[in-house]
Amino acid sequence: MIRIQGLTVGYGRKPVIRGLDASFAPRRFTALVGPNGCGKSTLLKAVMGFLRPQAGRVTLDGVPMARIPRRALARRIAWLPQENHCPDYLTLGELVEMGGHARQGLFAGPDDRDRLLFREALRTVGLQDQAHLPVNALSGGQRQRAFIAMVLAQDTPIVLMDEPVNHLDVTYQYALLGLVRDLTRRHGRTVVSVLHDLNLALSFADEVVMMSGGEARASGPVAEVLNAANLREVFDLDAQVIRHEGRRICLPALPEPSA
Amino acid sequence: MRRGFPVLAALALALCLLLALSAGESWIPPSGIWAALARFDETRQADVIVIYQRLPRALIAMLAGAALSMSGAVLQGVLRNPLASPSLVGINAGAALAVVAGAFLLGLEPRAQGSAALAGGGLGFLASLGVARLAGHAHDPRGLALILSGAIVSMFLGGLTQALLLSDPALRQDYLGWLGGNVSHVHAERLADFWWLAALGMAAMLLLARRLSLLALGAEKAASLGIDVARTQLLALGAAVLASASAVAICGPLGFLGLVVPHLVRPLTGARFGALLPGCALAGACLCLLADLIARMALAPLALHTGVVLELLGGIAFMLMVRRFYLRGAEA
Repeated sequence: MIRIQGLTVGYGRKPVIRGLDASFAPRRFTALVGPNGCGKSTLLKAVMGFLRPQAGRVTLDGVPMARIPRRALARRIAWLPQENHCPDYLTLGELVEMGGHARQGLFAGPDDRDRLLFREALRTVGLQDQAHLPVNALSGGQRQRAFIAMVLAQDTPIVLMDEPVNHLDVTYQYALLGLVRDLTRRHGRTVVSVLHDLNLALSFADEVVMMSGGEARASGPVAEVLNAANLREVFDLDAQVIRHEGRRICLPALPEPSA
Repeated sequence: MRRGFPVLAALALALCLLLALSAGESWIPPSGIWAALARFDETRQADVIVIYQRLPRALIAMLAGAALSMSGAVLQGVLRNPLASPSLVGINAGAALAVVAGAFLLGLEPRAQGSAALAGGGLGFLASLGVARLAGHAHDPRGLALILSGAIVSMFLGGLTQALLLSDPALRQDYLGWLGGNVSHVHAERLADFWWLAALGMAAMLLLARRLSLLALGAEKAASLGIDVARTQLLALGAAVLASASAVAICGPLGFLGLVVPHLVRPLTGARFGALLPGCALAGACLCLLADLIARMALAPLALHTGVVLELLGGIAFMLMVRRFYLRGAEA
């Protein structure tokens, strides 16, 4: 279980997150939602230990994150950044293989189980026939799926994702989040994901943490917490949350036409 | 192509080596080379030429070519800048100044000059990093500031080196040649002294290959995959400085190879350092042998300095590369 207590962190001296408390429940899909610049990505980076907190702490099963060596941490948590870079001439197959780095010996290559995992990861994102292609020759959506496959190949109990469905068409948005939900339901993984589309959060997530201004304003089961009152407070948005065939749908009000 | 490349490159290197031993003022056929290697006879002139002149020269060229090319690949990867290379981030100029200053001001013996070259290469690189930090933005994704400050530091150190050279006409003659990048059998002693340091640097780079490949995805992504980023960067830069400064200690600063060879090799081996670094070593050794051959043959009986040939090629390659990596966006 990842627990964040009184976390104040930012870039340089100016904090982006101020005194934030939150925890991400094990074996659940938690959506992080909030307006632009509210500190969602910063929170994930702080959890990964890339930023030095000014106050507060992040623990994994009670152990301060900063005390876990990188290699051990990489076997427990995978992270999908918002922006992914890939050097020229690196093929998709090679990229996905790199996901297995922390599991392998210092010089040993991937074993049979790893290779199976890599093929599985590529098939999951629908790129099994493109493994030999350079990543930078793929389209934006394919590249995003490639990096998701890499995260899957890391095969960790916890997965942190920063806007995983960025650049994806609607079909893949639903397919991929369905897969992410399966990771939690069927494989007992813990997933925390920044999502911009509230309807995706309502459709797939179990839990939600709503952030604004560097603080967690509300958190809990998505069906209870992602409601009209909280949307008004967090996003300053007039919206209805309506039920339709057992699903919840967020319908923002149209702005008044300007005179 | 990727599978076959190591074999092809090794064959090409063997061919270049054979050519380097055979060709010259007098042509020595392969049978003559074999005779010199197998049953060396001091009274035979061909044997003396092969063993005391061409072989040391070829070994120096191969070592320098391999060390500088691998260092270039590592610098480009760690600094994430396609224009990084030992000669463009202050290593070559720092090592050259340290050698000249050591000889002129402290009267260092050639052996100690090698250590001076190592220290100077490291300091030259650190000075470039320092200037870049002063001048650059924190968010300079391609590290252009480092390349510019590397050029500034190189010019500054080069100026100091020139001033020292001008101060002592007697010593000047000895070092003018070395400073141009001189692959020559007269440096065979330095090869014997420093080859192992270059080898150590190259071995360290090879050991870091897997981690370097991951580092190319960005520092944070690499950390999330289990890499100790700061340590890997430090070790890799240290190894690159060690290998390239050792090469400079032996035969003087050679440009071009560290910058260009990685770009030539990457399309053939892929971006992973496990394949890229050995590829760079083979291709760099080949190119340096060929450049040395051109230097000896082009204006025969006059011999050019290998470094001069490489600088000429390097100037052209640098222009093409700036065009490819920095002006591509501007044109589109």
